[in-house]
Amino acid sequence: MIRAEEPLIRVEGLHYTYQAGTPKPIPALRGIDLTVQAGEYVAVIGANGSGKSTLLRHFNALLLPTAGNVWVTKWNTRDTVHLRDIRSTVTMVFQVPDDQIVASVVEEDVAFGPENLGVPEDELHQRVDWALAAVGLTELRHRASRLLSSGQKQRLAIAAALAMQPRCLVLDEATAMLDPAGQTQVRKILHQLHQDGMTIISATHNMAEAVQAQRVVVLSEGRIAIQGDPRFVFAQEETLHALQLDVPYPTRMARMLATVIRDFPTDVLTVTELAEAISMHLGQPLELRPKPTTGVR
Amino acid sequence: MSRRTEFEFLGRVTIGQYLPTGSALHRLDPRTKLLVCLLLIAVVVASQSLLGIMLLLGAVLIGLALARIPLSFALSGLRAMLPYLLLLALLQTFAIPQYAANATVLWRWAMLTITDRSILAGILLIARFSVMVLGLSLFSFSTTTTELTHGIEHLLRPWQKLGLPAHELALTVNIALRFVPIIAEEAERLMKAQASRGADFGQGRNFIQRTRKLLPLLVPLFLVSLHRADNLIEAMEARCYLGGKGRTHLIHLQAHAADYLALAAAFALMALVIGLSTANADQLLWRLLSTYL
Repeated sequence: MIRAEEPLIRVEGLHYTYQAGTPKPIPALRGIDLTVQAGEYVAVIGANGSGKSTLLRHFNALLLPTAGNVWVTKWNTRDTVHLRDIRSTVTMVFQVPDDQIVASVVEEDVAFGPENLGVPEDELHQRVDWALAAVGLTELRHRASRLLSSGQKQRLAIAAALAMQPRCLVLDEATAMLDPAGQTQVRKILHQLHQDGMTIISATHNMAEAVQAQRVVVLSEGRIAIQGDPRFVFAQEETLHALQLDVPYPTRMARMLATVIRDFPTDVLTVTELAEAISMHLGQPLELRPKPTTGVR
Repeated sequence: MSRRTEFEFLGRVTIGQYLPTGSALHRLDPRTKLLVCLLLIAVVVASQSLLGIMLLLGAVLIGLALARIPLSFALSGLRAMLPYLLLLALLQTFAIPQYAANATVLWRWAMLTITDRSILAGILLIARFSVMVLGLSLFSFSTTTTELTHGIEHLLRPWQKLGLPAHELALTVNIALRFVPIIAEEAERLMKAQASRGADFGQGRNFIQRTRKLLPLLVPLFLVSLHRADNLIEAMEARCYLGGKGRTHLIHLQAHAADYLALAAAFALMALVIGLSTANADQLLWRLLSTYL
């Protein structure tokens, strides 16, 4: 994996206020310092109104800081000369599937971003082919975009972002409107992309998704409340509860079991880890059967 | 198919629907169809000859058959407009006589006069509208909205150098068309939500009453649409959209022999109709008929 000298995204003293300069300013971010290295997987969690979406929109200059600075590699997001560079380095996937699809045919929507960048034609076709394959939509490329399911639409939105060939993919609650199967598929795609070296920043309410990140950043009222690897963050159940956040189900269950079973580990994050902990306690080693593959249809 | 409920908006309008029959007409280049359609409208408006307009009507009907569109389906779109057409034709009939110099008065009562010319004008109006509605229906039955927007963009592209925003226009049309079903669904959802809390959109006694009942729907619908527009703009900006300048294109339209053939046939027919109109063919025909009958 190529690790750049400088961080991919660097945020320093970021303040952002909606309706700044009006009688009713609404402060959304109050002093955020954050760096994201190339190849990292960062989950951003926080209650509604904690500033997740506002923070994410600063990563590709959709919003500019009221105070402080954001750098994407060497470019300051205030520097409009580099707007194209910034937005093709960091691309975004939004929450509502319907509101981010521009074209009425699947492959044409994927092409919309690179078309804007003026990518030459033969490369354009290659990029579209690659992006559709990455999210498993190759067979639906000529389909009308409005006839897709919500999950497929969101995969299309990811493909459209990937076709820009970004170094970093930012997702703003991209799975919030999907059914469980759709959520799982998107999660798998993100996992695979990360394996292939893509930097991923994902705001989510879904703790199962946050667990697969390398680092979890917890926002509260426009500030970073806790950050660290998932095991560190989700160990602080009381703090999280105070911020109206949950820990993953397996973690919660392990904590319940720990109240009756002495020395039961409470730092489990996934179902597999929980099952292993229980079987260890029972003295019967767990033979994990390979999970039936749901696959990306 | 189940009966439509009062909440369904789509499916009532036939114009603007696409019927994938895979006919030769469907496979034509959208630019060809766009040009023929524009030409048809221009000629049908310009032509004073009923004979010519009937020829065009015949041509459109043949087009419908070629596209394998059920005639009853095509006509159902026209039927919805019939009351308005008849009203317009009636107005036309009474408005014309003052301007016709050598018209024969057939009936006169106070201010109202009917002449042979004015009846012809009424008939012409109905014929013209029928050709236009059927022609546009045929276009929409055989052309997807995507093809339409590609056609518009390709046709306007030569004028881009003169400052015409070809890409922007095409994109606007495309997005507007893409959001029609989404907004319709939204309206349906709002209506159901309001109806479940006791609002009544049912049978008002007349058109005005029923329209007034829809007013509480407009404000939330506008808000929702503006919100969606906001989201879409953000998504487009995030994908580096800065207007048409410097863009490349995934899709390139390709005209084939069939397109040139279709264009040639259309031009020939239109020329004939214009010729009939300027040669006063109707009067010749009328005179011939009245001599022999």
